Amino acid sequence: MIKNIWRFRLSILPGSVISLAILFLAFGIFYILFLNSNHDASSSAFITNRIIGLIKFTIFQAFLSTILAMLIGTVLAWSLAHQSTFRGRDFLVALLSSSLVLPTLIVVFGIISVLGQNGWINRVLLYLFDYSFGSFVYGLSGILIAHVYLNASFVARSLLHVFESIPKERYKLAKSLNFSVFNRFWLIEFPAIKLSLKSISSTVFLLCFTSFAIVLTLGGSPSYNTLEVAIYEAVKLDFNIPLALKLALIQLLITMVLVFLSANFQAAATNIKTSGTKIPWNEPKKLQYFQVFIIFFSTILFILPLISIFIDGLGADFKRIISDEIFIKSLFTSLAIATVSSILSVLFALLISDARRNFNINHRIKKSKFRNLINLVISFSGNIYLAIPSLILGLGFFMFSLNSQIPLLFWAMLAVLCANVLMSLPFAISILYSPMLKIAQRYDKLAFALNLRGSKRWLYCEWPYMKSSISYVFALSFCLSLGDLGVIALFGSNEITTLPWYLYQLMGSYQTKDGAGVALILLVLTLSIFIFLPKVFKNARHR
Amino acid sequence: MLVIDNLTYSYDKTLYNFSLHVKKNEIIGIIGESGSGKSTLLDLIAGFLTPQSGSIDFENRQISSLNTEDRPLTILFQKYNTFEHLSVIKNVLLGISTSLNPQKDELQNAKDILKEVGLEGFEDKLASSLSGGQSQRVALARSLIRNKPILLLDEPFTGLDLQTRVKMLDLVKKISKKRELSTIMVTHDLNDCKLIANRVYKVENGKLCQV
Repeated sequence: MIKNIWRFRLSILPGSVISLAILFLAFGIFYILFLNSNHDASSSAFITNRIIGLIKFTIFQAFLSTILAMLIGTVLAWSLAHQSTFRGRDFLVALLSSSLVLPTLIVVFGIISVLGQNGWINRVLLYLFDYSFGSFVYGLSGILIAHVYLNASFVARSLLHVFESIPKERYKLAKSLNFSVFNRFWLIEFPAIKLSLKSISSTVFLLCFTSFAIVLTLGGSPSYNTLEVAIYEAVKLDFNIPLALKLALIQLLITMVLVFLSANFQAAATNIKTSGTKIPWNEPKKLQYFQVFIIFFSTILFILPLISIFIDGLGADFKRIISDEIFIKSLFTSLAIATVSSILSVLFALLISDARRNFNINHRIKKSKFRNLINLVISFSGNIYLAIPSLILGLGFFMFSLNSQIPLLFWAMLAVLCANVLMSLPFAISILYSPMLKIAQRYDKLAFALNLRGSKRWLYCEWPYMKSSISYVFALSFCLSLGDLGVIALFGSNEITTLPWYLYQLMGSYQTKDGAGVALILLVLTLSIFIFLPKVFKNARHR
Repeated sequence: MLVIDNLTYSYDKTLYNFSLHVKKNEIIGIIGESGSGKSTLLDLIAGFLTPQSGSIDFENRQISSLNTEDRPLTILFQKYNTFEHLSVIKNVLLGISTSLNPQKDELQNAKDILKEVGLEGFEDKLASSLSGGQSQRVALARSLIRNKPILLLDEPFTGLDLQTRVKMLDLVKKISKKRELSTIMVTHDLNDCKLIANRVYKVENGKLCQV
C-alpha cells in the first residue's frame, strides 16, 4: 500500500455522490410508481390474463431476437476475423460499429422501405416474377428482423474484437496439430469468446426485452405488444394511468432481476478500427468461400436499408422540410439535448470509473467484503438504465410533474436529459473504465514519486491515454441521444419535440416523402458525428 | 539430416536467406536481436510462411512443399501452448488425437511421456492451475507424443526463472539425445545455447552466421 493514500481515496467521493444520486432517482421512481399503483381501484387482480400475455410475449420476442442475433453476429464476426484483407473491410466494420448508434426509427424506416408491401424486394419480385411476398414487416417477423438488424451487428462488432485478440500462436498450434475447422473453433476460438458470449447475450436480451420504438412501429397489433409499448398505450391512448403504473412496476421488477442475474455489461467496441487475424498460410478454399459468402450476404442485408434511406430521402422536398417551424425546433432541441447529455455522460462516466478503480486496485484500498459491496453498488448504478428503461423513467417523471407546480416542459426536458445520460452511461463506463484502471496500475507510483496530483496528474497521466476513448464516448453519447425515441414519446407534442419524435409523427400521418427526407437528415447527422467527430478531435490535438 | 538450402523470404524490405544443416541427435541454437528474423526461420521450416525460393529436405526427402501438419516436425512456442480449460492429459493427447478418444496404448503412452517430463500425477489437473514451467513441460510432452524427428523450439523458456529454465533446458537436452531428435532452438539468450547447443548461429542481416 502506498503511503498518503488518502489522496486517491478522495477521488471516490465525486463518483460515489453521482452513483448515489442515480440510485436515489431510481428509488424515487420506484417509490412513486409503487405509491400510485396502490390507488388503482379499477382492477381487482394485480396480474390479469392480459398482463401474463404481455409478459410472455415480451420474453418470447426477446429470447428469439437474442438467439438469432447471437447466431448471425457470431458467424459474421468469425468470418470477418478470418477475412482480414478484402477491400472495404474497414468501412464495413465502421458501419457495424455505427449500428449501435443508428436511431431505431431510421432502421424501421429502412426495413419498411426494403421489405414492406411496396418495398424494394416486393417491387423487384413483382417486376421479374409477377409475385409478391406481401407485407411481413409488421408483427413478430418485423420485430425480429429489426432486432436482429440492430443487435447482430452489435454482436458481430463486439465479438470481432474478441476473435482478433486470440494470440496468433494459438492458430499456429492448431495448424501444427492438424486441427479441423471445427476443432479449431471448439478448442481455441470458443473458449476465447465464451465469456463475452454470456455478457453480450444478456445485454442483447435486456435491450430486446425493453425495446420500445421497434415494437411500437412494427408490432402492428395489440397481440404483439410488449410491456413497454403497453405502458405507452396506457398513458397516451387509453389515459389509464393506474394500468400504466402497474405494468411499469412489473417491468421494473423483472428487469431488476434480469440485470442482477446477467453478467457484467460489456461495451460494443472501444474504437472503430480493427487489426484482423492475419494467418500467413492459406485457409482451405471451401472455408474461404463460406466466409466470403457470409460477409457478402450480411453486408447486403445491413447496407440495403441504409441505401434505401439515402435513395428515398433524396426525393424529398428539402426546401419545404427545412422551412418547417417544427422541424427547425426539433433539430435544435435534439442538438441541444444531445450536447448537454453527452457532456454529462462523459463527466459522469469518468467520475464513476475513477471511483470504481479505487476498489479494484489493492494498493489504493485493501480487499474486503465492504469494498466489494461498494464496488458492486457503484457498478450497478452505472448500468441502471438496463433495469429502468426510458419509458418507465419518463412515467416516473410524469408522476413527479402531477405532484408539482413546476411546468410540464421542465419535467419533460429533465426526463429526456436523464434518460439520455443513463442510456449512454453503461457504454461510456465500460469503454472508459478499463483504460483508467490500467493508467492507475501503471502510473500511481510514478505520480507519487513526481508529486503529480489533481490537474497535473490528469494532464500528464490520464488525458494523453484517455483522449481517444473520451472523444469516442462523447460521439457515442451524442448519437444515442440524437436518435432516441423513448421518453419523448410520452411527453412529445408540438411544444416539446425532437427529430425522432417529429419523424415518428410524419410516419404516423403517412407523410412518407417528408419522413424519408427527415430520416436522411437524421442518418447523415448521426453517421457524420459518430465517424468524424473523434477524427476532428484527433486532428485538433496534433496542432 | 535436415538440410535447409538457400531458403529465401522477404518481409518489410529485408531479404532473408537461410542455409543450415542439422544432424540427427544435434541441437542448434539460433540467437539474434528482436525482429532479426529468428522466428521467421522457424515459421519457414514449420510451413507457416512460404519461402520465395530454396528447399528444405529431411532424410533426402523434400518437405518444403508439404503442409505444416504433414511435415516431420513438432513445435514448442514461447506462450499460449496449453489449453487452460483442458486437463494436462488431454492437452498431451491433443498431439495425436484431436477427437480426444485415445486408445488404451495411446493413453499409457501419454502417461509415460508425462512421467518422462516430470509431471507424473498431474494427469487430471487443469492446465490453468499449472506454473509457467509446468505448462511448458506439458507442451513439451505433447510435442514428444507426436513422435516427430525434428523439434523446433521458439523461445520456449523465456519468462521462466533461472532455476526452472536450466532444468527445462537440461530436460530438452536429455530427451533430444534419447530420442535422437534434430532440434533447433531460437532464443535471445546466448547462455541458453551454451548450456545445450552443439552449434550456435546468429541471425544478422537476414543470414545465419556461426558464432
